[in-house]
Amino acid sequence: MTELMAPLPIVVEGDRKPQWAKIIDQTRCIGCHACTTACKSENEVPVGVSRTYVKSVDVGIFPEARRNFQVTRCNQCVDAPCVAACPTTAMYTREDGIVDFDKDRCIGCKACIAACPYDAIFINPEDHSAEKCNFCAQRIDMGLEPACVVVCPVEAIFVGDLNDPTSKVAHTVGREPVQVRRPEKDTKPKLFYRGAHASTLDPIAAERPTGDIFAWAMQAPEDAHHINSGAAPGTGSSSAAAIISYDVAHNVPWDWRVGLYTWTKSIAAGVYTVLAILVLLGAVAADGALWRFGAPVAAGAFLAITGAVLVWDLEHPERFHYVLTKGRWGSWLVKGAVFLSVYALALAVHFGAALFAGDAAPTILRAVTVVGIPFSVLTGVYTAFLFAQAKARDLWQNPLLPPHHVVQSFLTGGAAALAMAVVLEPGAVDALALVVGIAAGANLLMIAGETFLPHPTAHARMAAHELTSGRFARWFRLGVVASVVALVAPFVPALALPAAIVGLLGVWAFEHAYVQAGQSVPLA
Amino acid sequence: MTADIDRLAERVDAAREATEARGETFYPGPSRSRLAMFPPKERWDDWVELDSKAWPRRVEKRFMLVPTTCFNCESACGLLAYIDKDTMQVRKFEGNPESPGSRGRNCAKGPAVLNQITDPDRILHPMRRVGERGGGGWERISWDEALDEVAKRIRMAIVQERQNEVMYHVGRPGEDGFTERVLAAWGVDGHNSHTNVCSSGGRTGFQFWTGIDRPSPDHANARTILLISSHLETGHYFNPHAQRIIEAKANGAKLIVMDVRLSNTATHATEWLAPYPGSEPAILLAIANELVRTGSYDRRYVRRWWNWRQYLAAEHPGRPQTFETFEEVLGQLYADYTFEYASAESGVSVAQIRAVYEAVREAGPRLAVHSWRSAAAGNEGGWQVSRTLFLLSALMGAIAVPGGTYPNAWNKFVARPIHLPHHPAAWNELTYPLEYPIAQNELSFLLPHFVDEGRGVLDVYFTRVYNPVWTNPDGFAWIEMLTDERKVGLHVALTPTWNETAYFADLVLPMGMSSERHDITSYEQYDAQWIAFRQPVLRAARERLGETITDTRQVNPGEVWEENEFWIELSWRIDPDGELGIRQWFESKAEPGTKLSVDEYYGWMFDNSVPGLPERAAREGLTALEYMRRYGSFELARGIGPLHETEVDPAQYATDKAVDPFGRVYARDPAPVPMNLAPTGAPDPDAEGRRAVGVEIDGRVLRGFPTPSGLLEFYSTTLVDWGWGEYAIPTYIPSHVHPSRLEAGQVPLISTFRLVTQIHTRSANSKWLDELAHSNPLWIHPSHAKELGVITGDLVRVTTDIGHFVVKAWVTEGIRPGVVACSHHMGRWRLEGHDHAHRLNSTTVALERDGSRWAMRPRAAHGPFDSADPDTSRIWWTDVGVHQNMTFGVHPDPVSGMHCWHQAVRVSRAEPGDAAGDIAVDTERSRAVYREWLARTRNATVVSPNGERRPRWLIRPLKPTADAFRIGGPVGRR
Repeated sequence: MTELMAPLPIVVEGDRKPQWAKIIDQTRCIGCHACTTACKSENEVPVGVSRTYVKSVDVGIFPEARRNFQVTRCNQCVDAPCVAACPTTAMYTREDGIVDFDKDRCIGCKACIAACPYDAIFINPEDHSAEKCNFCAQRIDMGLEPACVVVCPVEAIFVGDLNDPTSKVAHTVGREPVQVRRPEKDTKPKLFYRGAHASTLDPIAAERPTGDIFAWAMQAPEDAHHINSGAAPGTGSSSAAAIISYDVAHNVPWDWRVGLYTWTKSIAAGVYTVLAILVLLGAVAADGALWRFGAPVAAGAFLAITGAVLVWDLEHPERFHYVLTKGRWGSWLVKGAVFLSVYALALAVHFGAALFAGDAAPTILRAVTVVGIPFSVLTGVYTAFLFAQAKARDLWQNPLLPPHHVVQSFLTGGAAALAMAVVLEPGAVDALALVVGIAAGANLLMIAGETFLPHPTAHARMAAHELTSGRFARWFRLGVVASVVALVAPFVPALALPAAIVGLLGVWAFEHAYVQAGQSVPLA
Repeated sequence: MTADIDRLAERVDAAREATEARGETFYPGPSRSRLAMFPPKERWDDWVELDSKAWPRRVEKRFMLVPTTCFNCESACGLLAYIDKDTMQVRKFEGNPESPGSRGRNCAKGPAVLNQITDPDRILHPMRRVGERGGGGWERISWDEALDEVAKRIRMAIVQERQNEVMYHVGRPGEDGFTERVLAAWGVDGHNSHTNVCSSGGRTGFQFWTGIDRPSPDHANARTILLISSHLETGHYFNPHAQRIIEAKANGAKLIVMDVRLSNTATHATEWLAPYPGSEPAILLAIANELVRTGSYDRRYVRRWWNWRQYLAAEHPGRPQTFETFEEVLGQLYADYTFEYASAESGVSVAQIRAVYEAVREAGPRLAVHSWRSAAAGNEGGWQVSRTLFLLSALMGAIAVPGGTYPNAWNKFVARPIHLPHHPAAWNELTYPLEYPIAQNELSFLLPHFVDEGRGVLDVYFTRVYNPVWTNPDGFAWIEMLTDERKVGLHVALTPTWNETAYFADLVLPMGMSSERHDITSYEQYDAQWIAFRQPVLRAARERLGETITDTRQVNPGEVWEENEFWIELSWRIDPDGELGIRQWFESKAEPGTKLSVDEYYGWMFDNSVPGLPERAAREGLTALEYMRRYGSFELARGIGPLHETEVDPAQYATDKAVDPFGRVYARDPAPVPMNLAPTGAPDPDAEGRRAVGVEIDGRVLRGFPTPSGLLEFYSTTLVDWGWGEYAIPTYIPSHVHPSRLEAGQVPLISTFRLVTQIHTRSANSKWLDELAHSNPLWIHPSHAKELGVITGDLVRVTTDIGHFVVKAWVTEGIRPGVVACSHHMGRWRLEGHDHAHRLNSTTVALERDGSRWAMRPRAAHGPFDSADPDTSRIWWTDVGVHQNMTFGVHPDPVSGMHCWHQAVRVSRAEPGDAAGDIAVDTERSRAVYREWLARTRNATVVSPNGERRPRWLIRPLKPTADAFRIGGPVGRR
C-alpha cells in the first residue's frame, strides 16, 4: 500500500467548475436494495448502520394500494448543515460540490448528525467516526461511476455535472418534475428525486406499524442513540392511508450527557454572572468569601465537570483538543470551547488574585469582571446557538432559546450561589433568593413560550408533544414543578435554600427532556 | 520514492477521455457521462484503485479482476471478483460488463456473495456423522475417506443391479448438464429435482403448447407485458428481466401484474390485479373470449400455427374441417367466460379486466407474457395458468417475434460436452411413479411417502444445494425418512453451509460457492443465445500469475471443493480399472487413460461446441478457454427470431417423405447432429418409424415446434391419450382453495411469495441480506384482522390440514380481503445443543416427538454472537420468522405433479402458551393428506395408450432407454 497525496485533477469544461449531482428515479426503482449492499461492499460499512438504504411506504386501500420506495442517503447539500456544524472540518465540501468527510479529523461530537435534516450521517461502530454517503468520491476521482449507480438493475440512480447542460443530470433536473427532501430546510440538496411520493419524502407522513415489525424485517429497537421511524400509529401527517413497510433505525446523536453538560455549564456560567452583578450592585460583599472564593471555585468546578462530560461524550475523547487546534470558527462547538476557555482563564485570574493579591484583590476582581461577565454570559448562552445550529431539529430552531439559556443560568447560578451564601455570606441570601425567584418566573414564561405557542412546523409540534405529554413528559413536568417551587424562594426565607435547590435540579430535568425531545422526530 | 512514482504511473483514469486516449475499452454507465461503469478490460490483470476505507487519504490497492457467475438465484448474473493482489483474497464483487444477460448490473445478492464466501460458519472440511443420525455429533475426515466410502457403496449398488438406489437430489442446478451426464455414465436413473415444488406447474402449461417448457419473454420490445409473477423482484430471471421490463415501461409499455398480494412488481403495474387465488385462468379465458368475439386476434397466425385441424377431427368430425368452422367453434368454446363471470370468480372488477383486455389487444404481437411459479405453483390445476396465459400469445401471434414470448430453447444454448454417455436402462419408480405418467418433473416431494410405502429404499442419497427438510412441504416426514437408516443407507449432503437437511446427513461434503467452482450456464433472458462460465476466481487469478493449479481445493478456503472435480474423482473410484464402463466417460481425450481435468472438459467444449467462440477468442490472441476465463461470457447470436418459421432443408425429407393428415412431415433421413442441446420435446416417429422433420404449412415444410403435431397445440392429443381429455384445450380448473372447496372458516394461505433480497435457503449466510429481511409475518387485510381482533405485531395461529404454526400478523391493504399470505425464506432453525450449525438468521429450536405428533419450539431468540467477523456481534434483530412449510401436507397436482402450495387454513388469535415460531404437526395426518391427493391420479397402468410409463416425447432428464419405458420394464432396484 502506498499513500499518495496528489489528487487527480478534476476535469473542468471551460471555466465552469463541475457540480456533482445525483438523480434517483423512483419511477424506475424496484426496491431491490442492491444499492444498499453494493455500498456496504464498496465502503465496508458494518452491520447496523448504512450509508444508503431503501425506505418503503405502503399507501392506499385495497386494491388501489401501492408500495413507494425511497432510496435514502446524503443529499450532498450546497449549504450543508453538517459542514457548518462540524467543529474540525472533518465534514467538508469539495470544489466539485461533493460533501466528503475525513475520519482522521473527526472527534465524534455528533454535531453533524444533529445538524443533518436527512439523518444521513452515523457513527461507524468500528472506527467511531462520522460517516455517510460521499458520492463514492474515491471512485469519482478514478473516473468510475459510484457503486450504487453501477449495481442498480434498472438504472434508477445516476450522477453528473449539474453545470454541464449536456449531462443527463442537467437534462433531468432542468426538464423533469424532480423533488428534493425537506426543501424548507434550505440546504439546497444536489440529490434530486424523480417521481418520489410525498409519503416517503416527508418522514412523518406515514405511520409506523404497531408491534415491532415491518413487512419483512423487525423495527430496529429504540435505545439511547436510536429511535423508530415514521409517525406513531394514529399521528401521521398525511390523510392518505400510509404505513411504513420498511425502514431503518434513526439517529439520536446526543444522549443524556448533553443535557447534563448543558446544565453543569449553566451553573458554571450563572454562579459567576449572578454574583458579579450582585457585587457590582453592592448586594454581595466585594471582599467576602462568597465572591472571592465561592464564585471561582463553584464556577471552576462546574466548568471542569462540563469539560469532562463534553469530552466523555466524544466518540474520540483523545482528540478533544482538535476543537481548538483544528477548529473551525463557524462551529458553535468551537465558539463554545473558546468561550469556555476564556471564561476559565478569567476564573483562574480571579481565583489567583483572591488568593494572592491581598487587599488589591477586590479591585482586581472588579477589573476581571470586564471579561468575566461577558464570557460567563456567553458560556451560558452559546449552547442555544449550538442547538440552533442543529438545523435538523425544529424544536431547537426557536428565537426564545438564547434568552432561555441566560435565564436558566441565572436560576441555576443563583441557586448555587444561594447555597454557598448560607454558609459564606448569610446576608446575601435574600438577594440571591430574589434572583432565584425572578429567574424561576422567567424560566416558566420561557417554557410556556417554547412549548405552548403554536409550532411553526409539524416536526416542532411532534417534538413538543413528546416533550410535554409524550416520552419525556415526566422530566418536563419535573422541570416545571421545580421552577414553581423555586418561585417560593424570595417569599419564604426559611424555605429559600430547599426551593432554590429544587429549582436548580429542575433545570437539569427540563434540559434532559428538551434535548431528547428535540431529537425524537425521525428525519428520514 | 521512485517506487511510489512507478506505482503512481500504474494508476490510470477510467474516465472516457483517458481510456479512449489509451485505446482501451470504455464501459459507459447509466449516467451517460465520462464516468466508466467498469475499469477497461485491458487493465483487468492489474487495476489500481483508491482504498475507500483510507479515504480521503489516497491509498492505492492493486486488484486483479476475474469474472464468474452468481450462484444465488438461477439468473446467472455476471460477477467480477476484485482480487486484492497483496492478499490474493476477494475484496468485493461487482457486475460483469461482458455478461450479456445482466449487463454488469446485479441485485442485492450480487455484492452479498462476499458475505457468503467469508461466512464464519461455513463448512470447511468433510465431516462424518458420529453417533445417531441427526444427533449433532460430527468428526472431521479426509476427502479420501469420504470418497472411498461413497464410491464403495455406489459400486456395490451398480454391480448388484440396484443402481437406482443411488439418488442425486438437486435444488438449484446452476449448471447445464454436467451432473446429469455423471448419472448417465453410472447408468443410474437417479436424477431427482426440486422442480415439482417450484416451476413444474408453470412449465406444464407451456410444454403442452410448444413442446418447450419455459417462456422467454422479450420484455424490452413489448408494448404490453403481462406477468403472473413478480419478475421485478424475484424469479427466473429477476435482474435481467427487471432491467428490460423497466426499459419497456419507460418506453411506454403497459405492465399488467396479477398477484394476490402487493408485490414490488405490482407496485409498478399499470394495472395490478389481485385475483382470488386460482381464478387467474378465468380472467385469461375471458380476455381470450373477448379477443375471439371481437375478431381482435391474428387470424392468419392461428390458421397457420394452431393444430385446429386435429381438434376439429377429434371433437367435431361431422362438421366441415375448415378454419371457418374452427373459428365458429372457438367463438362458442369460451362464450361463458364473460368479463362478468371472470369478475365474479376473481373479485377483480369488470372495468379492470376490460382494461387488461384492451392492453392485450393494443399490444398485438408485442405482448410479452410470463408465469413461472406464483399461481401456477399454488393451485390445483395451476398448470392451466400458463396454458391459458400462452393462449393469449397464441391468439395474438405474439410468439417468437420482437416484443413477444419465445420458447426458451431458442434463447438458450447448451453446448455439447466432451463425452455423451448412454441413457440409463432402468426406470426409477421413486422419481417417476406410475400414478403420474405425464408429470412434468420428478415427484420429488413425495419421496418420504413413497419410501414409507415400501416402494424402494435409498442406498446412497445425495442432496445437493437442496434442503428438503426445510423447503419441501411436510418436513417432519422428511426427518422421519432421513433418520431411518433402513430407508436411507448413506445420506451425503453436498453443501457449502449447514442447513436443516445436512443436520440429518451421514457425510457433509463442503462445496464451493459462486466464486469457487466451475459451471456452464445459459439462460433465456432476451432474444439471443449466450453462455456464461462460473469459475473459481482465485484459481483463474493464480493461473494468470503463472501458477499451475490442478485442483480447486488448492485455492478454495479450507478443503472446500467443487462438484465437477468431485464427480470425476468419485467416478474413478467407483470404477478404478474401467471394468464397469464408467471410467471412460471421465477420461481425458487428449491422453486416454488419464483423468479428465476441468480445463480439458471446458476447453474441449469451448473449442468444439460453441460456434464463434474460438474465432472471437483468437481475435484477442486467446484460446477459447482463456477467453472464457478472462471474460466469463460469450454471446453466440442475437435476434434468433421465429425458428418455427424456418424452412427445413429438403435434404432432410428426401427419403420416404410422408405427411400426415394434419401436415406433420416425416422422413427417413438421419437427423443432423444438433449443436444446441437445450432441452425440448422430442416428437415421436410415425408408426413406420420415420423421423418427424417438420410441418407443412401453406405448401412449405417448416421447422415448427417440438410437439407431436409440430404445431402449437391448442388441443393436446397427449392429454387425451393419457386419460385427461377434459383438459385437452386451455381450461379453467377451479383450485383446491376455490371458495366452493373451502370449509366454513377456512381461508387460502399464499405461502410461496419470495422477498427481493433472499433466495430460498441459500442466502441466509449473508449478513447484509439478513439484516435487510429476516422475518415473515402473516399478511392479513384490515377487515379480516378486525374480525379476529388483532393488530400488526399480534400473534396468530394458522392451522393447516396437518398442524399449525404461530406467527406475527402484518395488517396490510396490500392483500385481497379473505386471503392471507406468508413469505417463505424465513424461519430457519438449528437444533438445540448442536455445535455444528448455521447461526446467521436461524433460531435454536427443540424438536419434540410423540409417535406421529411432532412439535418444534424456539428455545432461544436469534441474536448477536462472537465469530471471526465482528459484524456478527452487531446483529440486532431477534425475530427470524417461522418455518411454515413444515405444517403443509403434500398436494401433488394429479396431472402436472406440481405441489399445489396454497393452503386452506384457519387463522385464529394465538392461544395461551403459543410463542412466535411454534410449529406442531401430526405426520399420521400428513400421510392421510398424501393418500387423498394420490387418489386423484390416473395410473399409467389404466390410462397408458401404449403400455408405456410416460409419453416419450415429453422432456425428462436422463430419458431412459425404450425398454425401460415399458410398464413392467427394469427398475434398477431390489
